Amino acid sequence: MTWASLVVSFVKVLVVVLFLLNMAAISVWLDRRQSAMLQDRVGPNRAVVYVGSGLVKMFLMVPAVLIAGALAVPMWTSMPGLEIARMTQAVEFAILVGWFSLLVLSSNVRRHGADNGFDEAVASLEPRSYFYGGLAVHVFAALLLQVASALSRSAPGSLSASGGVAWGTGLSGSFAAAVVLASAFYASAKVPDGKVGIRLAGTLHAVADAIKLIWKEDLRPKNADKLLYAMAPLLAMFPALVTFAVIPMGSTLCFQDVDKNHALSFVDLGHLANFADRSGFCAVGQLPVSLAVADLNVGLLYVFAIAGTGIIGAAIAGWASDNKWALLGGLRATSQMVSYEVAMGLSITGLLMVVGSVHMQEIVNWQGRHAWGIFVQPVAFFLFLAALVAETKRVPFDQPEGESEIIAGYFLEYSGMKFGLFFLGEYAEFVFSSALLVTLFFGGYHLPFVDPDGLRISFGATNLYELKLSHLAVSLLHIGAFFGKTIVMTWLQVFIRWTLPRFRYDQLMKLGWTKLLPAALINILVTGVLVLGIDGASPAVHAGLQTLADVTQALVALGGVLAVVALITGLLEPTKHKRVALSSSAGYALRAGGVKATKMGA
Amino acid sequence: MEPLDIELDDGELELPNEPMQVNMGPAHPAMHGTVRMVVDLSGETITKVDVQIGYLHRGFEKMCERGTWTQVFPYVDRLNYASPMLNNVGFSLAVEKMLGVSVPERCQHYRVVLGELARICDHMVCSGAMAMELGAFTPFLWFAKARELIWDVFEEETGARVTHSFGRVGGMAQEPTANFKSMVRAAVPAVLALIADGEKLLLANRIFLDRVENVGVMSKERAIALGWTGVVLRSTGVPYDVRKVHPYLTYDRYDFDVPVGTSGDNFDRFMCRQEEIRQSARIIEQALEQMADEGSVNIDDPRIVLPPKEDVYSTIEGTIQHFKIIMEGIKVPAGECYSYTEAGNGELGFYIVSDGSGTPYRIRIRPPCFATMQGVEEMIVGGMLPDVVPTFGSVNMIGGECDH
Repeated sequence: MTWASLVVSFVKVLVVVLFLLNMAAISVWLDRRQSAMLQDRVGPNRAVVYVGSGLVKMFLMVPAVLIAGALAVPMWTSMPGLEIARMTQAVEFAILVGWFSLLVLSSNVRRHGADNGFDEAVASLEPRSYFYGGLAVHVFAALLLQVASALSRSAPGSLSASGGVAWGTGLSGSFAAAVVLASAFYASAKVPDGKVGIRLAGTLHAVADAIKLIWKEDLRPKNADKLLYAMAPLLAMFPALVTFAVIPMGSTLCFQDVDKNHALSFVDLGHLANFADRSGFCAVGQLPVSLAVADLNVGLLYVFAIAGTGIIGAAIAGWASDNKWALLGGLRATSQMVSYEVAMGLSITGLLMVVGSVHMQEIVNWQGRHAWGIFVQPVAFFLFLAALVAETKRVPFDQPEGESEIIAGYFLEYSGMKFGLFFLGEYAEFVFSSALLVTLFFGGYHLPFVDPDGLRISFGATNLYELKLSHLAVSLLHIGAFFGKTIVMTWLQVFIRWTLPRFRYDQLMKLGWTKLLPAALINILVTGVLVLGIDGASPAVHAGLQTLADVTQALVALGGVLAVVALITGLLEPTKHKRVALSSSAGYALRAGGVKATKMGA
Repeated sequence: MEPLDIELDDGELELPNEPMQVNMGPAHPAMHGTVRMVVDLSGETITKVDVQIGYLHRGFEKMCERGTWTQVFPYVDRLNYASPMLNNVGFSLAVEKMLGVSVPERCQHYRVVLGELARICDHMVCSGAMAMELGAFTPFLWFAKARELIWDVFEEETGARVTHSFGRVGGMAQEPTANFKSMVRAAVPAVLALIADGEKLLLANRIFLDRVENVGVMSKERAIALGWTGVVLRSTGVPYDVRKVHPYLTYDRYDFDVPVGTSGDNFDRFMCRQEEIRQSARIIEQALEQMADEGSVNIDDPRIVLPPKEDVYSTIEGTIQHFKIIMEGIKVPAGECYSYTEAGNGELGFYIVSDGSGTPYRIRIRPPCFATMQGVEEMIVGGMLPDVVPTFGSVNMIGGECDH
């Protein structure tokens, strides 16, 4: 253990804790906001903080300058054999930034009016057109560069000998940097003088809530058990945070052993390997850094062990509050979580049999090499999802806190930040459960056709398209994919909450013990038979299965792209405000010859 | 160590236990702040329950005795605050029965339309709130949105969204507005569409059905014995609807059905309400069809109806007429009568006594909820604690009229 690896571990812990706490707060906001969208009402989005325009400009410019520098400078260093790949990355990134900036500008000008002729020209096109145009340019540029690479390969010496390709790479990096800088400059020029209200799409509302909770009076019931009462929120919060430790947030990073001491040192940290091996393992002599806080070989077992202690917090809170409703809530929480833990553990067993490991990294790698867990174990996915929702005590399994029955359940007597801790713990658990679902069933950080050494679209043994990517690029893609998938998963889970009513306590127990448990056992049996059958099958069957797995990857890729396109076009759809009612007081006033005057000016 | 194999009776092994007694309400989310249940629990099963009403008692009947007959209208608004218009109409009819007058046909249709709109609101609020307390928040807010559409119409017609105080003895406070019909015709289909959306979320949902089916069952015989009326009675299979059995206003001229349930459980109550909303829409359509566009909504009797404002300021007769009605009240002949209508929750009866002065001598109301609440205890004993929520939700206890 060197100092460098200690620092790396510390950074990883910090990332996890910050991610969980921030996501917990944001998902509280998301929960409310999404319900507002479903229910057609105004959600929490008004919290605002005023900062000076200079600071806003700095927020825009500093990251832009850093990104531009990171793009422009290293691209001039030569990396033989990678020119086309790097050029493609830089150009595609520039195109992405370009259309996105134009899109934002267009919608902004359409809403707030134009400042100059350029604004007007940009706003003459609908925001959606920029998106479609951007997509077209993306594809066009990729094809063009492929053709260029084919030409340079067919006529070796003509271009690369003169250093043309190296120049091209450098120029493309500078071009991308210029696009980033120009966008940031133009955006910061648009920042009005004086104080600027920042809403961050309403997410500041979560911050406002937290501040309110911290300053609220911390009431304790007279006869409550002082120690246990104070301990319970921490006990409830703790498992949610520490279970995340084994979840890999990205593929293993490989560092070059620059100082040849066979241990990670600060010098090595500056030298990320240029390429990774296709297998995902680091080459001999390289130093691996896992992107899980603790790369335990017991992986999933650790998750179950720690998640099981989550019961203690709820039970102690219910007992220590000296309130009958809280006690009922604590009892319900305990029995529910104990029951569903059984179904949860058994439902995942099928997947473990297929993968042959409980090591999280290994589970993700297996899904990358074959197919995502949801295709391999669809039944287990639904069983696991149900058990997981029950474990996190969310609708429709929120009996422990069913507000219309037992008021608030085990945290009924808590106020202030102690209540906030329960709340945060619950949502952190919720984010963690999404991350776990992603890791087990949605390929973790894996993206279809993105191998550790680059993009490779292949079915079975036939390669359709290949693009070598640097280790850094793939790692960034992976990390982005993991967090993106987790966020989408939380988003989907919120939908469950706003559409379902809650079970009755006995129905819940019946579901757990008489439906989920037998289904999980049958799933194990069927999986066992299939695994044995496939193990003994001929190589042709294996090849066929591999092709089938690649088809599922293609489906995921296609579905993912379509979903993103649909989401963006949906978001960019021009809003239509339709009036259902013919009458309203405003309409009445208008017909009577006047408009209701209000102080708000609304 | 010695094995512990002492022979023990089963009883000795068990810990001493006694039922847990909890207070549900009045400050409990499911109790709407207006009722308290002292519940004995064995585990989660309810062994005994004591339903205590009266938390919204405001001396309504006594208050009515201190003003004129017309001044009672704001009070009746606050009986069933989910459908004030039905109470308004009910009280107008009671006083008109004492006076022996009946309002013009246009007004009768107008009252029917407004009343049925209020009934739709009432049923929507009840069904939606019940679903919300089961955890399904979204349908409730969709129903609330539908209610807004109806309230828009009410606001346009009466100037108030909730407590309209719009009924008057011998007519209504105002004529229908010029675009009353078109407004209602636009609003009702939109409301029905929203209700259909909300129902889709609930009726295709196994969890919701499991929570309401065969829960809170009431037999036909017991329901009649307890004096139940309205939706709760019809859900047990008794087709008693005052609008059909003892038609008032112009209800005998409309073609509508009375939905009845079979088992009297929460599901039947929910479905009866949903179906009644559709029947109300049918009634509204026919009433709008039959309602004349011209003509007065008030009877032509200067002793009962206020004169137009221009007359008050320009003619001596008008001034005196106005003064007499405002200061002394409408002179209702001495006597007593019982008048009853179908309100949101069932038969809303007014038993009124007059001594011939302009002030009511006694007003006694027969709120549908009061009778219904007697049956709640037997519906929830033996069930589980979570069952209290849909059962209490589906009887639609309204504190304002129950604690009269």
